[in-house]
Amino acid sequence: MRHLFILLMMLFTLPSIASGGWREEMEKAFMSAPWAGGQGESDVCIECHSSEMMKPAFLAVVDEWKTSWHFQNNISCHDCHGGDPKDSAIAMSPQRGFLGTPKYLQVPEFCGKCHIGILKNYLESGHGKALKASGKGPNCVTCHGAHNIQKANIDIINEQRCSKCHSYERAKIMKQALFLTEKKIGELESSFGRLKKQGVFTEEGERTLFSTQAEFRTLFHTVDVSLVKERSDDFTRKLSLIEKEIQDTFVELRFRKNFSTFMMLLFAGMSVVTLLLLKTPRD
Amino acid sequence: MARRLKDWLEVRIGLDDLIRTQLTEYRVPNTINLLSTLGFVVLAGYIIQVVSGIFLLIYYVPHPEHAFRSVQSIMSSVPYGWLFRQIHVVGSNLLIAALILHMLTVFLMGNYKRPREMTWISGAVLLLLALVFGLSGYLLPWSQLSYWATTVATSFPTAFPFFGDFVTKVLRGGENVSGITLGRFFALHIAILPPIFLSLMVFHIFLVRRIGISATPFGVEDEEKRPLAQYIKKTYPDGNPFYPYFFQKEMLMVMVYCTVMFFIITFMPTLFLPEAANTPADPFKTPAHIGPEWYFLAQYQMLRLIPNKFLGISLQIILVGLFLSWPFLDTYKEKNLRKRPVLRGIFLLLLAIWVVLMFWGR
Repeated sequence: MRHLFILLMMLFTLPSIASGGWREEMEKAFMSAPWAGGQGESDVCIECHSSEMMKPAFLAVVDEWKTSWHFQNNISCHDCHGGDPKDSAIAMSPQRGFLGTPKYLQVPEFCGKCHIGILKNYLESGHGKALKASGKGPNCVTCHGAHNIQKANIDIINEQRCSKCHSYERAKIMKQALFLTEKKIGELESSFGRLKKQGVFTEEGERTLFSTQAEFRTLFHTVDVSLVKERSDDFTRKLSLIEKEIQDTFVELRFRKNFSTFMMLLFAGMSVVTLLLLKTPRD
Repeated sequence: MARRLKDWLEVRIGLDDLIRTQLTEYRVPNTINLLSTLGFVVLAGYIIQVVSGIFLLIYYVPHPEHAFRSVQSIMSSVPYGWLFRQIHVVGSNLLIAALILHMLTVFLMGNYKRPREMTWISGAVLLLLALVFGLSGYLLPWSQLSYWATTVATSFPTAFPFFGDFVTKVLRGGENVSGITLGRFFALHIAILPPIFLSLMVFHIFLVRRIGISATPFGVEDEEKRPLAQYIKKTYPDGNPFYPYFFQKEMLMVMVYCTVMFFIITFMPTLFLPEAANTPADPFKTPAHIGPEWYFLAQYQMLRLIPNKFLGISLQIILVGLFLSWPFLDTYKEKNLRKRPVLRGIFLLLLAIWVVLMFWGR
């Protein structure tokens, strides 16, 4: 039996050594597969903009984008600039919807393809009207940046940025009007984070919070302080409902912990009782 | 009422005789210890899995568009659904751990030696089946974790030239893990594996009873006398009755098993359900760090380390072959591992390698 097994082992191992590849092949086929953490499909925009042939000004674009909120949410080059990221020959073809870099005046429409509600309110605001009238008013990039765009928060409104164009007084009043609602949104986001860490599926709640937040921030782009103050109560009510759901979930988690602790103690107690009752023939 | 029911059964199945021969007069060796109860713990663990699994089955929907939602609904909306899912998830890992421990103790005590070769093989196949149980069940919640861990695990056979890709395609029902894979794994998990596992377990218990339970070799002479030319049932006339002495030990270990299970559910509820287990499967979004379940990590790491893919998978199959046929390869009479330094050394080395690979593979 042993000899048969050794023979089978040899028969099995020898051809495997002879026919297999080496480390490079292994890494290509196994380690760099998408499921092993490697990159999946290649993106020609990234390939070219990371290559040495690119102008230095365009070279930084990829690194900036990799630090952005868009990158974290899988928004890639072609989602904004159009084109075909899979084929270098037609990557920048207008037939493939390539838009290139928008002109200063076109930036709001460029971003507004996705941020539709915000575009509408922006165009009705003093900022939008100034851009349209003089071509020099602030556009999206003025406040949010371009490729390294970060997750929007209330700190975007600051003296350094706003006073480039006008006095900070009016912006300060707007920031105060936004503060409480924004603070509540931040608190709810961190509560969802804590729930996630405890294994709770929070997608639905987070989606409600996101849409409420998006609606609120859309409103802010009107740059109308009185309107923001007027509507803040509505948002506070919506956020309170989300907060109630979060609190209920925390209560449920506490109940679960108490219940399973009870079960654990019950079985531990039964273990001790069984141990004490253990009989030996001498008893 | 109870008396009348007992009498009714006595007339029809001979209940007293059954209790006397199988429990009170059935004797086990005096030297038997708590380690010998692990087989019973596995049986209890399997029953827990079946019961909790049936509860989950009532609410689970085996379809890619509904599977994740149905599992989340079990966790959040179904009364005590969270408890049954946690018991099923933690229980499955503990069951495999108990099975591994059982095999290790049987190996250490040399209880696989003849005439118990078939008992060892059936136990080893049960362990392999439990791993397949784990693999098939892991995909069912259709989360990012389950989807990509299954993608990794089902890609193992691709290491084989010629028919490796075919095996993977058969497992997945296509090039990638998809709804077809979910259907296949669901059928495997709830309809194909349970009767096979149960039948094999019954066969295993039958062999243990038929041949007679093995005495621990520590401090006693080798119990098997050569040559073994005919069937001899091993009995222990001076041993302790199975009931209540050994049964109490078994129940003690089952209680400890349940205590450990609820300890994990209470204090480490996310141990087997991390954040990726609460994210719906997205075939287009590969997570940065993915890996299979802990019991496949050593194999996974071994495949990654050995440069030749085919050699890697061949070595693993050889190891499984060694594991299954070990009673036929180790034909020495001596059961006590303390008197066999070479085997002890190899065993400790393999165990250390397995543990290192497992942690390395994380």
